[in-house]
Amino acid sequence: MLYDIRLTLSYDYDAPVHGGRHHIRVAPCTIPGVQRVVASSLSFSPAPHRETSFIDFFGNAVSDITFVEPHAKLEVRLAARVVVEETERSEARSATREQLALEITRYWSVEPDSPQHFLAASPRVQIVPEITAYGADATKSSLSVYAAALDLCRAIHRDFEYDPSATDVETKPAEAFALRRGVCQDFAHVMIAGLRGLGIPAGYVSGFLRTLPPAGQPRLEGADAMHAWVRAWCGAHLGWVEFDPTNAMVAGPDHIAIGHGRDYADISPIVGVLRTYGSHETRQSVDVITVE
Amino acid sequence: MTKRNHESRSLPLDGASIISEYRLLDGVPDEMIDPAGALRPGWDRLMSAFDDLGSSELAARFERADQYLRDAGVFYRKYDGAEGKERAWPLAHIPLLIAEDEWNSISSGLKQRAELLEMIVTDIYGDNRLVQEGLLPPELVAQNNEFLRPLVGVQPAGGHFLHFCAFELGRGPDGAWWVLGDRAQAPSGAGFALENRVATTRALSDIYADMNIQRLAGFFRDFRDHLFAHARRDGGRVGILTPGQLNETYFEHAYIARYLGLMLLEGEDLVVEDGQVMVRTVAGLKPVSVLWRRMDASFVDPLELRYDSRIGTPGMVEAVRSGSIAMINALGTGILETRALAAFLPRICKHLLGTGLDLPEIATWWCGQSAERDYVLDNFDTLMIGPAFATTLPFDDLRGTVLGASMTPAQKAQLKARIESHGKDYVGQEPVRLSTAPVYVAGQLEPRPITLRVFASRTENGWTLMPGGFARVGSTPDTTALAMQRGGQAADVWVVSSAPVEQVSLLPQEGERLIRNAPGSLPSRAADNLLWLGRYAERCEATLRILRAYNARLAELSKPDLPILTRCSEFLETIDIDATEPMPQGLLRSIDSAVHSASQIRDRFSPDGWLALNDMQKTAQRFASRIRIGDDSTRAMTVLLRKLAGFSGLVHENMYRFAGWRFLEMGRRIERALQIARITGWLTHEDAPDGSLEMLLEIGDSVMSHRRRYSVTAGTQSAVDLLILDPLNPRSALFQLSELRTQLEALPGGVRDGQLSAVAKAALQLQTRLKIAEPEEVTPDVLDDIAAETGLLASLIAAHYFT
Repeated sequence: MLYDIRLTLSYDYDAPVHGGRHHIRVAPCTIPGVQRVVASSLSFSPAPHRETSFIDFFGNAVSDITFVEPHAKLEVRLAARVVVEETERSEARSATREQLALEITRYWSVEPDSPQHFLAASPRVQIVPEITAYGADATKSSLSVYAAALDLCRAIHRDFEYDPSATDVETKPAEAFALRRGVCQDFAHVMIAGLRGLGIPAGYVSGFLRTLPPAGQPRLEGADAMHAWVRAWCGAHLGWVEFDPTNAMVAGPDHIAIGHGRDYADISPIVGVLRTYGSHETRQSVDVITVE
Repeated sequence: MTKRNHESRSLPLDGASIISEYRLLDGVPDEMIDPAGALRPGWDRLMSAFDDLGSSELAARFERADQYLRDAGVFYRKYDGAEGKERAWPLAHIPLLIAEDEWNSISSGLKQRAELLEMIVTDIYGDNRLVQEGLLPPELVAQNNEFLRPLVGVQPAGGHFLHFCAFELGRGPDGAWWVLGDRAQAPSGAGFALENRVATTRALSDIYADMNIQRLAGFFRDFRDHLFAHARRDGGRVGILTPGQLNETYFEHAYIARYLGLMLLEGEDLVVEDGQVMVRTVAGLKPVSVLWRRMDASFVDPLELRYDSRIGTPGMVEAVRSGSIAMINALGTGILETRALAAFLPRICKHLLGTGLDLPEIATWWCGQSAERDYVLDNFDTLMIGPAFATTLPFDDLRGTVLGASMTPAQKAQLKARIESHGKDYVGQEPVRLSTAPVYVAGQLEPRPITLRVFASRTENGWTLMPGGFARVGSTPDTTALAMQRGGQAADVWVVSSAPVEQVSLLPQEGERLIRNAPGSLPSRAADNLLWLGRYAERCEATLRILRAYNARLAELSKPDLPILTRCSEFLETIDIDATEPMPQGLLRSIDSAVHSASQIRDRFSPDGWLALNDMQKTAQRFASRIRIGDDSTRAMTVLLRKLAGFSGLVHENMYRFAGWRFLEMGRRIERALQIARITGWLTHEDAPDGSLEMLLEIGDSVMSHRRRYSVTAGTQSAVDLLILDPLNPRSALFQLSELRTQLEALPGGVRDGQLSAVAKAALQLQTRLKIAEPEEVTPDVLDDIAAETGLLASLIAAHYFT
């Protein structure tokens, strides 16, 4: 599937900010065999005083922009064309839940893709006993790791209500869990907390969803904004598989990844330090159009 | 059970010697007395010197050490409630003596350990062969908060991660020294070691001079050379990066900065420009090439490390990545403090160095492995259990580390179940017992457990150790290492040589090139604090003078509703002072603000100045609960004025005329001009009652001058002339502006491209206005305007020098 992606993030500040420095992670990545970036361009307004880029630990591309002049508004614009392949994820290759602990113990690596990074609490995901118990209950009859992840993914979709007014970007997984409400970021964090509580390595994926569904299919939830889902490590054979708890599905050709990390903190679209006193208003617009 | 243990010595046994009552603990090695019952090397001389002094002289000597610490203002901060309190440094007076040959074996063992740690951290942030080859479990890296992912693959500037480490040692029951823990992130205590030494030698200078004790200054000189060698390559500055004055060991940061001539910097003093760390100074941005970091690494950059850090500098990690800044120690070295790592060091050492650890370490079992977990569960009652990922030393860890045997059956069952399910989070460790050394308690020697803290630094010739300086002394005779949790004291450590030692000082040696630190190194934040210190001190003075004049009249006339008193109390209200309070809260707040400003720049003025200011604060607080208005209050204000004059005198007479002093001075001048203009306007107003002018002259400390200069009773014009327009009266507004201009001219950046700066222009304008004014033109309205213009000068200074 070939997509054209357009993203605009705008920040309107109450009072002009004097300088500022941001790390931006919004451009889609190439994952061999899964998706390939044909072209991608990122622009900023006003033009930054300085712009550099680097690749972070987890392999995500980061734009580092610095402003020195006062400005009352910041706009980040992305235009990209991406090919997404149809991939087959077979549950048959997943480790059983019994095998998993041993497979992890035998994984003597701290390379960025090692499951070892995705088991403990991380900056935005604490291991919460209540969520672990919920996860255990939702997966009590799942035999494979794959099945457990999918069962938890479906349970969250069943039990939680999509409600952008209930939470914000700082909401902790335990709070969203107590509310049984939230948006893709909250569902992803709750699912990650649940999987890690059960000893299943889990990470956070940031990306886009196809805006308009193929004929005859429903429009996906969250398609009008940047999206987030989960990846779980299903043993050494199957490796990482992506699950979307907002839409109760395994991520497929409608999901276009920007990158991943342990949680939102590792891959948030914009991290910034501003010299300002006021607050700001954020808007984003996303279009993901299929190209024939 | 105790026993007498020194029958074989030639020292008197009839009670004349201080050691005759020293009773060893059974089965516990002692630092003073060896297993055969003989005094160890050096101790014999120390003890006979104590006997020669006699008990009352010895007590007086130790008091001298305490007096020194109080005078020098040595403190640490202890957080046991919500708010940390400053505590006096708890010096144990008797130094711990260690013979040179024993020290040499400790020293070579620790150098090996420092080398090993450097190799391990290089591997963790580099090739990760230790994990791949099965020598280091991946969990201990990947699930460790001290593993800083943004630093993976980053080569530290200069090639090394570790430059300054500390090791905690204890002597076990077998008589051998054991390593209890490593400090590799940002070890503290080296400055306190220096203060231990200074204080102890205050008490025992003659004995110290006689005994061939290795000096500490050489260690600091070599490390300073190492820091500056780094900096010389690219011409940048060297600073200490501190979390700020609320940190437990801020005193030490300020102390070392002063001792070694380094800039004391906080995160907000720094900015990263094009990958280069710069310090904001009053002369603009200046490059920094070396930071001796006393802040935990995760706080140094809110952009790439802890995003909630409020004490960091955005872009610091980028600067590290670009190699433009050397961090002492490199970001990420905190991972070496992970407690579970100890379980793997013996094997890693064999693997990397081909030999065992020269100094044994505390035996550790990580419960993330099944055999080790079973061992810990089976031997639960004989072990110390703690968190695997803790980076504190077991005896600093007040909550997490416990003796298995000390738990209730229910607690045991709970912890055991937790270890079964979450083994990787726990370690079992051998509960080390420590040796004892004598401490002085109420005129007697008593054995107390000790641990030794040894500092190691990298120099051009490899690792070198600070020969002595710091031991911790337990507060009770309990020698289990865990008992050290209950706090205690610190003692100096003397390494006793058999031959005379080299004398070292940090003053330049003959033949050594004198290096003058470049001017223009005053950080803007420090300048800001100095300006405010000057302003608050002056504001206190002005308030004190008005309150004294008010209370004196109240005492004399005892009619609070007298017009002049009403006029005066109304003025006081405008500056937030309630004249009905004998020691107004508003005044106490100004004093607190002065102390607060000073506390942030302790490295910039002398301990004497700091103590004078603190003394004034304490006196004012004491008065607040005791005095009444009127006569009492008049006397109190006089006492405080005298104390404030003491502080001002110390600053004026002793402070070097660096840029820092100039900001302090400008703060004083601005505040004095502003205050005198306001009170003059208030008391020369047409509504001002009888007696106002006399009061004004008294407040302006110009009664005598007025009498000499004008042979008339005070009139509005003569008072205005003397207090506002007189160029020679050191209390007049014009005098303040002239002084202010002198300081502005001496500062960098007063003239740019032949143009005066905005603040220099404004100061000139205001000065000129006063120079040419006639007394009759200076109405209360004009005075209000002058006060406002003066206040504006402070904002212009801030805009020019602090942003």
